[in-house]
Amino acid sequence: MNSMELPLVAFTILSQAAIGMVIISSVRQYAVEGPTGNIRAEWIVAALILMCGIAASFLHLGHPLGAVNVIKHIGTAWLSREAVGVSLVLMLMIIGFATIDQKVKPALAAGTALMGVLAIFFTGMTYAPPGYPALNNILPFVFFLLTAATLGTAISSYFSPKEKMPLLTLILGAGLLVALTVYLIVPFIWFSAGTVMQQTAVEYLSSPLYWLRIVIGLAIPLGTLIMTRTIPVWVPVLILTGEIIGRIAFFSLTLHASTNIGGI
Amino acid sequence: MNKQLGFFIDAKRCIGCFTCAMACKNLYHQELGVIWRYVYDLKTEVYPHRERAFYSLACNHCENPTCSNVCPVKAYYKRAKDGIVVHEQDKCIGCGNCIRSCPYGAPRHNPVLRKAEKCSFCWERIDSGLKPACVLSCPVDALELIDLSTYENPNVVQYPQGFPRYTKLNPSVRFRVAETPTIIRRKRL
Ligand code: SF4
Ligand code: SF4
Ligand code: SF4
Repeated sequence: MNSMELPLVAFTILSQAAIGMVIISSVRQYAVEGPTGNIRAEWIVAALILMCGIAASFLHLGHPLGAVNVIKHIGTAWLSREAVGVSLVLMLMIIGFATIDQKVKPALAAGTALMGVLAIFFTGMTYAPPGYPALNNILPFVFFLLTAATLGTAISSYFSPKEKMPLLTLILGAGLLVALTVYLIVPFIWFSAGTVMQQTAVEYLSSPLYWLRIVIGLAIPLGTLIMTRTIPVWVPVLILTGEIIGRIAFFSLTLHASTNIGGI
Repeated sequence: MNKQLGFFIDAKRCIGCFTCAMACKNLYHQELGVIWRYVYDLKTEVYPHRERAFYSLACNHCENPTCSNVCPVKAYYKRAKDGIVVHEQDKCIGCGNCIRSCPYGAPRHNPVLRKAEKCSFCWERIDSGLKPACVLSCPVDALELIDLSTYENPNVVQYPQGFPRYTKLNPSVRFRVAETPTIIRRKRL
């Protein structure tokens, strides 16, 4: 088992939640008629969540004071691109918050959403290195996007007016269903690949972390949404708990190519 | 092709004595648990006799080193004159990205300095016309320093079983694989 990488668990989840929040906030403002809810509070909370995430990421560095240097290798290093991308998203969130007038300006809302997805893509590529064959593909990006979609929507529900809850329930329900399907299928795809990927599949399927994440973070919230047709206040907490467990699984259960040197 | 130094690993000769790994450790005094060169024994799926065949591995000084590509602070560079991949530890901020990215597990985490480190191919020794410590120490000449731009040997492979195959990185290493031993049975009288 690798290390749990708790600072990275915090950074990735918080940054994806914050980005998901502002995207859903913009969807709520512009996709359908009706009151927008407390947008100001929503955007500043999203910015604060993102700041906490960035602060957590510093704790991962052996020398946090050198953090400013991480933008030096933007030509090839996804981590450099990620640092720039996430900083830009934070900047846009703050500008969005500062210029809110009933709604966030449409161009700014769209720009923040776009930059947010791009930042998640950069994070996805950072965690898709050759050393981890099971993740050396588009999967981390897909996982992270699903976190933004589900956790972002769930937290956004705290700021949503009653009139728009059916829309959020629909988005969250769809997000949870897709996430549940993806997480249940992925280990079986790994089974059909090389040795290290197969070993990763076994690690996942035999770990309580993987199943806890499925049940707590996806199945129970989805079942609740189907039964109640809304998002009860405790559901976002459950989804967050599931994300934390799932992200610990992501960092600790995926096998490195070098663990198999000397084997087949 | 430009000059590209690499390791030749003769698994047919190697006796798994760890002298190469010890020579490296002796020269660089790595912290406890930090290993630059390691002697991996081949699993029985690859070689049918337990702990009888080995690969002595360190950094492979790849043609396209992922460690260097992913390092956000440019702490790595590849020497144009001989292809050695050098890690400049002064610049390292210990983000762990190179450690995670190298499929050969070559960069390691130094818990005392809280930075990464790896085999340097003993470039200071090479610049003085000496062999790397591991190559020099091997009692059976199972490790050799080769220049891949001129090296020709039909009996070597780049990716033997048990060695991760990453063609995009193009690791600068060649192997002679271990042979299955001949089992001599006594004739029944
Ligand atoms: S083996 Fe790993 S550390 Fe060495 S050059 Fe290749 S990618 Fe870099
Ligand atoms: S651990 Fe050091 S050398 Fe490795 S990628 Fe991070 S900064 Fe670069
Ligand atoms: S010193 Fe030579 S024989 Fe001994 S383990 Fe290293 S490569 Fe093998």
